[in-house]
Amino acid sequence: MSSPIHCSKPHCCKCKIGPSMLASDLSDLANEAKCVLAAGCDELHLDVMDGHFVPNITWGSPVIKSLRKNIGEDAFFDCHMMVAKPSQWVKDIGLAGGNRYCFHLEAALSSADSTVPDLCSLIRSCGMQVGVALKPGTSVEAVAPFIALVDMVLVMTVEPGFGGQSFMPNMMPKVVSLRDSYPKLDIQVDGGLSPKTIDVAAKAGANIIVAGSAVFKVKDKAREVIEGLRGSVEKYGNGIGEEGEEEKEKA
Amino acid sequence: MKLLLVSFGLTLISVECFKPTTFAAPRHSRSCCSGCPICCPTTLAAVYGEPRPVQIIPSVLPADFGKLGADCKALEDAGCDRIQFDVMDGNFVPNLTFGPDTIRWCRQYTTLPFETQLMVSEKCTDAMLPQFTEVTKGPNGEPGVVIVHVEACTHLHRALSSIRAAGGSPSVALNPHTPPEMIENVLDLVDHVLVMTVNPGFGGQAYIPTMTDKIRKIRKWIVDRNLDVDIEVDGGIKATKETIGACAEAGANCFIAGSGLFAYDDMAQGVKELTALAKEGQGLPANA
Repeated sequence: MSSPIHCSKPHCCKCKIGPSMLASDLSDLANEAKCVLAAGCDELHLDVMDGHFVPNITWGSPVIKSLRKNIGEDAFFDCHMMVAKPSQWVKDIGLAGGNRYCFHLEAALSSADSTVPDLCSLIRSCGMQVGVALKPGTSVEAVAPFIALVDMVLVMTVEPGFGGQSFMPNMMPKVVSLRDSYPKLDIQVDGGLSPKTIDVAAKAGANIIVAGSAVFKVKDKAREVIEGLRGSVEKYGNGIGEEGEEEKEKA
Repeated sequence: MKLLLVSFGLTLISVECFKPTTFAAPRHSRSCCSGCPICCPTTLAAVYGEPRPVQIIPSVLPADFGKLGADCKALEDAGCDRIQFDVMDGNFVPNLTFGPDTIRWCRQYTTLPFETQLMVSEKCTDAMLPQFTEVTKGPNGEPGVVIVHVEACTHLHRALSSIRAAGGSPSVALNPHTPPEMIENVLDLVDHVLVMTVNPGFGGQAYIPTMTDKIRKIRKWIVDRNLDVDIEVDGGIKATKETIGACAEAGANCFIAGSGLFAYDDMAQGVKELTALAKEGQGLPANA
């Protein structure tokens, strides 16, 4: 028996594809990043894990700083902060070249060192966009009080900590709920996204797609995978942004 | 200038070799030889044992994390003996670097042995020690050096034993403030002791000179107990007599060099200079 398909109302949020660098060759990060940027991705998704919020350690600001130095200023670094104290790293990530600082709501609410509004202000003062992430067990009601303060909500579609996990379709009602309530909100999904699972996420209303293994698994296929993911979001979510709409009218 | 101390009923001691410049412990030198039990080379050998092979071990902290694999290969080409990976979790130290997957990916670029220094909290050490032991191994499964911090291990004896059982080479590190007595009872379990000569967390710091006596103390225990244990030093180690020279003289033989090596345009030259000064500190000729 197949899972039910959850559909949101159509939205106009721009589709952005952000490959997760955690699935790449970590000893050759710069070249891997350049390859996916050349293949047409919009952002680079950088998973920062501190071994405390999740049971894995990946990288911190020194790695991001090196990557920025190699890649140049144009690429958009989406930093997914799976760390116990979100406020601890804001300045470091900003200085290292982060463009979006996406903290976990669960960590921010349990950490004693900063309120969510103060954290959002700090992130903006460091020149970064604000994202807030929800683990599978966290409801959308928990983030509702803070929506006005953020640019993006990340709905995790796996339990955070490791790549290569299976997509959780039962997270889609959360995406639908957010999309229907906030038509202009950027909604990101992360975990097990691939050509096989993208349609479900696109129909639910997600517009920013993180895909790791699907993009890096097969050499020279990154462009095809990225285009496929984008096509699905634009078909099922009407994800063409303001620039795209003008071009669509001209055509 | 020869001074004779005469204490009633006690032995006369020649203190020509004592050249205190401050109220700190007198500086001993191998060059003076008047039978002083501290400075006489023969007696020194008894205290410090035969010099152990000098090993130059770069830390990847100053490397380019965008191409870490290529940098590992360059370190091998420069003649380094081992490569150190500084794992920091942002909790034990105020910096967050990288984890086991990064180390695993670098393995394909070099056959040099790896060592992993776990500057992580006890929670991380307990949860991830088997994983780090595995990824630190050599290309054919040879034991890699896994360094746990004494300050992060309530059950240090158990942690070191588990590294060995999992096929790793156990090592224990001490922060600058930690007295050497904290590791005295596990010296029989380790292959190395790492004496931190800066506060861990960031590269580019200055060597803490008060660590030299700590090295000396540990070295004496190793020699007295006839143990096969290297002493490694990490922090502010450069091609100077005050840092690598002093550590070698005190009994260290493994030298972590981060910015001290990466500062060289030609790292092979850096390895040569560091090695020469270390050997000089040990009282050996440069080509020994």
